[in-house]
Amino acid sequence: MRIKLKNLIAPAIVVLVLLLIPQLASEYVIYVVVLAMLYAILAGSYDLITGYTGPLTFCHGAFYGLGAYASALLTLKAGFSFWLAFPASGIIVFLFAAIVGYPALRLSGHYFAVTTFFFGHFIYLVLLNTVKLTNGPMGLRDIPAPTSFLGINFHALSASYYLILVFGLLAVVLLFLLVRSGVGKLLVSIRENEELSEAIGVNTAFYKVLAFSISGGVAGLTGSMFAHFFRLLHPTTFAWMTSEMVVIMALVGGMGTLFGPIIGAGIVTLILELMRFAPELRFIIWSVAIILVLIIEPKGLMGIVGRLRVGQGGKR
Amino acid sequence: MIFQQIITGIIVGASYALIALGLNLIWSITDIPDFSQGGIYVIAAYVSYFAVTLARVPFFLALLAAMAVGSVISFILEKFLYKRWRGSGRIQLLCAIALFFLLSNGAILLWTPKAKIFPAYLQGGIPMFGFVLSFQRIVVLAVSTLLFIIVFLFIQKTKMGKAIRAASQDREVAQVVGINIDSVNSMVFIIGGALSSTASVLISPLYAVFPAMGDLPLLKALVGGFGSVAGVLIGGLGLGLIESLGSVYLSAAYQHGFAFFVLLIALMFFPKGLFGKV
Amino acid sequence: MKAGKGLLSLILALALLLLAQQIWAGGEKEGVKAAKVVKVGYIAPFTGSAAEFGTNGWRGIQLALEDVNKNGIKIGGETYKIEIVRYDSRCEPTEAVANMRKLAMEDKVVAVLGDHCSSCCMGISPLCDEYKIPAITIECAANAVTSPGHDYYFRMRPSMGLMAPLLTPKIVKLFNPKSVGFLSINDDYGRSFADSFEQSMTKEGVKTVTKIFFERGNTDFMAFLSKIKDAKPDVVFYVGVTPEGAMILKQAKEMGVTPGIKFIGSEEMGEMELLSLAGAEAVEGTYTVALWGAVAADFEKRVKDKFNAPMHYAIIFGYDALTVVSKAVAAAQSLDPVKIREAIKKTDYQGLEGRIKFEDFENYKNQGRYTPSFIKWSGGKRVPQ
Repeated sequence: MRIKLKNLIAPAIVVLVLLLIPQLASEYVIYVVVLAMLYAILAGSYDLITGYTGPLTFCHGAFYGLGAYASALLTLKAGFSFWLAFPASGIIVFLFAAIVGYPALRLSGHYFAVTTFFFGHFIYLVLLNTVKLTNGPMGLRDIPAPTSFLGINFHALSASYYLILVFGLLAVVLLFLLVRSGVGKLLVSIRENEELSEAIGVNTAFYKVLAFSISGGVAGLTGSMFAHFFRLLHPTTFAWMTSEMVVIMALVGGMGTLFGPIIGAGIVTLILELMRFAPELRFIIWSVAIILVLIIEPKGLMGIVGRLRVGQGGKR
Repeated sequence: MIFQQIITGIIVGASYALIALGLNLIWSITDIPDFSQGGIYVIAAYVSYFAVTLARVPFFLALLAAMAVGSVISFILEKFLYKRWRGSGRIQLLCAIALFFLLSNGAILLWTPKAKIFPAYLQGGIPMFGFVLSFQRIVVLAVSTLLFIIVFLFIQKTKMGKAIRAASQDREVAQVVGINIDSVNSMVFIIGGALSSTASVLISPLYAVFPAMGDLPLLKALVGGFGSVAGVLIGGLGLGLIESLGSVYLSAAYQHGFAFFVLLIALMFFPKGLFGKV
Repeated sequence: MKAGKGLLSLILALALLLLAQQIWAGGEKEGVKAAKVVKVGYIAPFTGSAAEFGTNGWRGIQLALEDVNKNGIKIGGETYKIEIVRYDSRCEPTEAVANMRKLAMEDKVVAVLGDHCSSCCMGISPLCDEYKIPAITIECAANAVTSPGHDYYFRMRPSMGLMAPLLTPKIVKLFNPKSVGFLSINDDYGRSFADSFEQSMTKEGVKTVTKIFFERGNTDFMAFLSKIKDAKPDVVFYVGVTPEGAMILKQAKEMGVTPGIKFIGSEEMGEMELLSLAGAEAVEGTYTVALWGAVAADFEKRVKDKFNAPMHYAIIFGYDALTVVSKAVAAAQSLDPVKIREAIKKTDYQGLEGRIKFEDFENYKNQGRYTPSFIKWSGGKRVPQ
């Protein structure tokens, strides 16, 4: 698996810009970019199960929330340090997704999708109502920032930013390696023709559950990052709107390309932020914009890119 | 008290079943879970509300007006949007979600987020088992039953109905055999729009009209969206009953979570849907 | 595809840069302050399920804005007008924080009004201290917002934890109840309300026989009312917003639960809106906690003329909050948020809702302490008890 150097130039520029933002921009911009990065990782991990493997899911926000609350509670109530709670949350959500995914993934596409929808809503209800544990609608606050590491104080906004950036880069690199590997190709073959894959001996059930669980696990890790960055958790942050947003970001960017959803997350965040000045109209403008995008280029941003490429005489 | 719960459950379930029927029809022909029906649900409620309060139109006329508006909107959405991407379920899904947000937020913008109370159109009711069953609630049951029968007969007996059934089983073969897939698509959306609107208008006088009213019923209807007409009815009613009884005897806070369990159970025992396809 | 992907990454990078540049430059421009304008931020839910609070708060603020800007604020010989920058929080804490940071960094406001939702208030209050920009919350009810509190965060209305002990003795004296029930909305506000009143009622020896939480937006209360009917409490606190309250009362009347069992509503139920939604018959004989007894008739008229909307306590609070800020700016004779904060702390002003004074006591900081009203709905009118 070779990666041409010239293909690294553009991602390198993006990373460079991201590295420079805390030095150049205001705290407001830094904060928004952090949220965008978190969404980008969510969208990227979402692409693993839905873009690459096939089944549409609507519970990504719930996995995000589970990871966030798990990490927060482990540090607040069980005295874990962030550095332990972080991987623990990832594992917890990974297992959760595996347990739920194993029976659920037997269902055909639409039924599975609807099931994940309700599963997501159910998790939200649990977070809202187990008040003794999660403080329910009162919100969980005073979550500690990651404890000092190499003398870095993570209470500061820039420090959190860089931590999340590093996490994001690692996650993206690992996801990239995964989808480019043999396993990734297997997932795509399942998406394209599950029966055929099954017939030639691929254990499709295993790989679907694996993809679902890894995707969930990464979302859980992202949740942990969020919890110790924002330091205040409220169930509404993980209601179905969040899962919807992830789906839309992935679709806008172009599913099944890994980078599509990641960039889609950035674009959607950017647009919503630029429209902050129009409080009542934001979502209307945004919905209309999505529909327009679909009319013009249904494959999302990556579709547009593909067309540009074809225009240049190259092949996709 | 339990009788009252059962009746409430059946009535609420009937409205879920109506929406679910429309969703099911649309789904079986196009593979889209049509979220925009949630938005049409909201619009229909407001149309009927204004018809009754501003235009002073009698309730049943308002109902018909709302059904007409709902079907037309649904038809237009299919013709000018969904049709473009026939075959690409994902894009249609995204469009459906965007439309749902658009319609719901549009309602907030046009009519403020505050709920409006729909004036009662029938007073009084029948006393039974320790409570009074209002006539308005009986109307919900009656109209829902009527519509179900009409739709069932339509699907079973008419030429278009047969075309819909054929297309739901195999789109390509249906086209080869000469069925006009465009007409079939339009028809299921028209029916879907009419059904969602009816569900909304029937329920409005019992509760309230507000922009977010479509969110939950849409989700619940998705649960009932399996298989045949009978299956949809049982699914919807079942959900309504379980919610109603569960919220009293189990937990009020999880009222909207029961859908998840109903779904799981339904899927475990009927992985291909209840009673097979339409 | 790869080069295309690269192209795309480039575009994104550019966009990010542009955004950073624009915001940064935007911030800088504000440094050269547009003469004679004082910017005040307003964070509130304008969309989503809590949208009516932001809408009403904004109405009150607009009225106060008219009054203040008529003559402006004189600072050192110059006349300043207030300009409001408002952003939507959707009752979502991550949004509220984004808004706060934008207000502080980009808009460079000297004070902030907001939020309405306790979760958002809790999100922005630490930032107020960090940025040293004072904020007055329009109406968050949860105790935690000012307990232990922040130096730069102020609340006018008494928190849930304070309302209950102030009102319970009156309630007990009026009805002499042996048992109490709760029917409350399942959010931070609803739970705080129910918990505090449960605590204070228990102290008076009243037993809780049923406690039910329902989801926001719920419209069917028959099941819950049946449960309440069976439990036979002497009084019931019902907590939520007016449409739900109206539904509860209508259905309670239908089931014959009221007025036998004394229903006491949360603050929203003291609004005229309840009367118009539920009808005089359904509200007759019920009671409610209220945040205002009566306002001046001319204020009511202004609200009606300008907005064609019923009076609502968020309008009153919005008005008072902006008035307090403008008075503080005038008192401080400065646009320095730190000095304005000091002036806010010293506020002692007879507002529309009562005497506004921010105190530090027990575990509270910067908390107002006026006594709430207790209203009976009688003959279609609000009758203070």
